[in-house]
Amino acid sequence: MKDSIKKEAIFNHSIDKVWNAISNGEEIAKWFINNNFKAEKGYEYTFTASEERGCLTITGEVKEANPYTLIYTWIVQDTNTETTVKWKLEELENGTKLHLEHSGISNYEGETAVNMFNSFSGGWAECIENLTKHLAL
Amino acid sequence: MQDKFTKILKAISDPTRREIFHALILVTSALPINQIATNFNMTRQGVTKHLKVLENANLVTINSQGRERYCIANAKPLKEVNKWLQFYEQFWDDSLNNLGKYLDES
Repeated sequence: MKDSIKKEAIFNHSIDKVWNAISNGEEIAKWFINNNFKAEKGYEYTFTASEERGCLTITGEVKEANPYTLIYTWIVQDTNTETTVKWKLEELENGTKLHLEHSGISNYEGETAVNMFNSFSGGWAECIENLTKHLAL
Repeated sequence: MQDKFTKILKAISDPTRREIFHALILVTSALPINQIATNFNMTRQGVTKHLKVLENANLVTINSQGRERYCIANAKPLKEVNKWLQFYEQFWDDSLNNLGKYLDES
C-alpha cells in the first residue's frame, strides 16, 4: 500500500508569487484554508476549515521554510497521527513547477491494519460523501 | 466534535489496540473479555478500556452472555481508512486547482 500522495502542477507565474501564495498566511486563507500560519521553522500552526466544511482542525509544526521548500507536519484533530506535507518549487523558463508530497498517510492504519483490510477486500458499502462532508477541508 | 472517522483513527492509532483487534480478527469468533485479558497479560479493567475505544469505533462488538461479555471484531470500518487516501487525492487536486485560479486572478 502506498504511503504518500504526490502531485505536480505548473503555473505561469513567478516562483516568488507562488511561494508567497503557499507560505503567507493571508494568501493561504484566500485559496486554501483559514489559518494562523507563519513560515518559520518550529512555528506551530492551526488550520481551521469553515463550518459548512465540518469545522475540522488541523495542527502541525513547520519543519522547513526556506525558499523554495516548505515542510510542515499535518495532524487532524482527535488523532495523534502525524503526516507530513512538503511543498517544493522549481523555477521554469516561463513559470513555476510545484511539487507537493503528502507522506506518512499509512501511519493511520499501522501495518496490522493495512494487512487486515487488504485481505478484506470486498462488499463494503461506504460513503465517500460522508467522509468528504466530515473531513472536507 | 468527534465523528465516526476520527473515532476509527483514534482506535487504531494505539499499538496495543491494534494487537487486540488483530487477535480478534484471527480467531473469527467471539472471545470472552477475561480470555483476552489473560492472553494479553492485562487486567480486565485495562483490556476493557481498550475494547471500549474499539467498540466506540464499531471495530468490536461486545455482547453479554450470562456473566461473561464476549467480543467479536468487525473489520468493515477500516474500509473508510482506505478512503482517506482517495479523499486526500481529491483534496490536493482541488486545492492545487484553487491555487492555480487564485494565482491567475491576483
